[in-house]
Amino acid sequence: MGKTILEAKHITKLFPGMKALDDVDFDLQEGEVHILVGENGAGKSTLSKVLLGAYKAEQGEIFLDGQPLKLTGTKDAIDKGIVAVYQENSLVPYLNAAQNIFLNREPKTALGLLDLKKMNEDAKALLKTLNCEYIDVTRAVSSLSVAEQQMVEIAKALSFSPRIIVFDEPTSTLSEREVESLFVQIRKLKSEGLGIIYVSHRMQEFPQIGDRITVLRDGKKIGCVGINECSDAELVKMMVGRDVSQVYVRNKNDFNEEALRVEGLCDQGGRVKGVSFNVRKGEIVGLAGLVGAGRTETAEMIYGIRPIASGKMTVFGKEAMPKTPTSAVKMGIGLISEDRKRQGLALNESIAQNNVAVSLLKIFPNFFVNNGKINQIAEEFKEKLRIMTTSVGKKTRFLSGGNQQKVVLAKWLSQDPEILIFDEPTRGIDVGAKMEIYNLMDQMASQGKAIIMISSELPEIIGMSDRIYIMKEGEITGEVKREDPDFNQEKIGELMMLGGAE
Amino acid sequence: MKNKSFKDIVRSIPPVVYMLVAMIVIFSLIEPLYLSTRNFRNILLQCVPLMIMAFAQTIVILTEGIDMSLNAVVNIVTVLTVWLAIKGVPLPVGMAISVLVAILIGVVKGFFVSKFSLPPFIVSYGMQNIVNSIALLLTGGASIYFASELYRTFTKTVLLVPNNVWVAAVMFLLTYTMLKRTKLGANIRALGGNPESLTLAGVNPGRSLIKAYAFAGFLTGIAGLMMLCRVESGQPIVANGLEFQSVAATVLGGTSLRHGKGNVAGTILGVLLIQVIQNGLNICGVPAIYQSVSTGGIVLAAIIVNALITSRKAKA
Repeated sequence: MGKTILEAKHITKLFPGMKALDDVDFDLQEGEVHILVGENGAGKSTLSKVLLGAYKAEQGEIFLDGQPLKLTGTKDAIDKGIVAVYQENSLVPYLNAAQNIFLNREPKTALGLLDLKKMNEDAKALLKTLNCEYIDVTRAVSSLSVAEQQMVEIAKALSFSPRIIVFDEPTSTLSEREVESLFVQIRKLKSEGLGIIYVSHRMQEFPQIGDRITVLRDGKKIGCVGINECSDAELVKMMVGRDVSQVYVRNKNDFNEEALRVEGLCDQGGRVKGVSFNVRKGEIVGLAGLVGAGRTETAEMIYGIRPIASGKMTVFGKEAMPKTPTSAVKMGIGLISEDRKRQGLALNESIAQNNVAVSLLKIFPNFFVNNGKINQIAEEFKEKLRIMTTSVGKKTRFLSGGNQQKVVLAKWLSQDPEILIFDEPTRGIDVGAKMEIYNLMDQMASQGKAIIMISSELPEIIGMSDRIYIMKEGEITGEVKREDPDFNQEKIGELMMLGGAE
Repeated sequence: MKNKSFKDIVRSIPPVVYMLVAMIVIFSLIEPLYLSTRNFRNILLQCVPLMIMAFAQTIVILTEGIDMSLNAVVNIVTVLTVWLAIKGVPLPVGMAISVLVAILIGVVKGFFVSKFSLPPFIVSYGMQNIVNSIALLLTGGASIYFASELYRTFTKTVLLVPNNVWVAAVMFLLTYTMLKRTKLGANIRALGGNPESLTLAGVNPGRSLIKAYAFAGFLTGIAGLMMLCRVESGQPIVANGLEFQSVAATVLGGTSLRHGKGNVAGTILGVLLIQVIQNGLNICGVPAIYQSVSTGGIVLAAIIVNALITSRKAKA
């Protein structure tokens, strides 16, 4: 390991209502792969974006080769040799690989036209250094596989002759073999003296490529350890280890009748591979796993958004295959989606209108609706769920995250489904509102509803669930019950990261 | 990939080709007179203004935009050139000024769309009304005339092809080269496909968008001149309706309204399909009142077939 290239000190980045980064230090050396790890929302991406000039930190300093660095934007960072390979690709779909690699830096002929020949040759040469000469540089990148597109991204990053490359969750869309060839490339870049920042939470990958690991949690730096100085269990503890106080209230219910059972559920895109589980009345069943494990996709299949390729689903003992959300609602299924702003709410509509969005037909089976009654229903929910608002006529756009989520809940409570799926129900809302949502979930379970809870926050899912299924890469890798000795963060975290026992 | 099998080649033929052939076969079965060199020459001659407008539309659509003011720009070019000629400005100079005005209108549209993040449909719709009103004001609502032999030079034939068809061919080459072989072309596809990538590459997306609209404006100006040479007068409403046909032709030609997907070569076929349908209905003696219904119906059907085939291909 060589000298320090990049050093960040006391970085603090504020987002409205939260500290995304709180006094974080970070450094990168020549020929090093420095892994940034943490739970979702811990601040990994924010930190890498600060280093890439995409965000400006409110406090703190960055040094490049010991010199203070003030980045004006991503272009500035690129000019200084700091480039990124983004998780979501930054390619233009209907340009070919060569044109994408040299976008805005295209070689020109004497006539001032693009020198396609030179561009193609240069692109081929770059891809050859990545052992990807099989990629046809003249084909539109939209026709390439995801892995090939990523190689084009890497070639593009390399074409800037960078000194530092940030990989943001590069393996989340790759198959195992593709991951291996990516690692070969990363090792090669490392041996050439580049500094590499590797953002990931796939722990099994770390020993294969990492040198040091920096752990972030809730925007704070928890520690920086050498790759061999720390066991997986210790690392998980650093990532998730926070106190679980009396935030979670669960009453013991009797589970008897089975409400929902899925067997061997597969989707068409290979994101969900043969998932089986069940949930009974009065029970809260957690689906734990990392982002991309296939949990949301499973929920979407049960709710009829995502087509089911194969598998069986039974609702209260009857075979059921919802093809649309409408049919799912008729079967008594509801989904509180993970993106409430895009999928859960009509932001420009009032609280009252949102409250009856699903149940309109149930409340008014005839042709006409009665606005007085809608407002009356909304007032009832406002009281019951303690939605903080001056009026139920207010547009939901203007509510806080917690209150918005309560409106989404009210929408479903007014329809009164028997099976309710909560997908990341407390994302981006404050602790007070979280506790109220937990309470409501507990009440609903006590009333005999069957609840499926998807969450990436381990304390939450452990605090609320009666049983937890752990999903990893589209499969269920484990099941733990509340009474099991394994019902704790260390064990479940391990199952999430490493998969089931071999 | 180099050795494409026959099957691959057949698969890669865009559906518009089949539809074009089918239409020609159907019309010639109904009316034998249809299959004459004279008639095909007519089809080519008639479609020139729409053809060049559709090139402009294709550029705008590739940026994930749409331009509803192309008709107004063609109208104003015919009117302004004749109006200037009546005021004593030599016709070629007037033509040049009109094309500059067309470019300027493009710049204004691009500016509004990029600067204020307005939907291109609304901006261009507003522009259509403004420009059309100006055209009507300049002419007092009627057609205006200025006699000149210059118009006819474009309907004369060189190497068996009418001159204005040559002009359309040059415009095609310009557009094709711009899209394939210049930075602007790459940036246009990026605007439609992934504007973020431009910012990351240090390009100002707004400036690229204005350039795209300016280029489209230039093409529309030329389309206006070709229209002028056909009608030999300043006609304030002559191109109304063509703005929609240019969109239909672009879509039929295989350009998607989203993601910067498509190409200008297909647009030629799209325009020809529309023109073949109109001409065929005419030749077969369909009364004028039923012609728009039939054109609309056939174009709609063609777009549906196109969408079905394209989505099936995407799945395969």
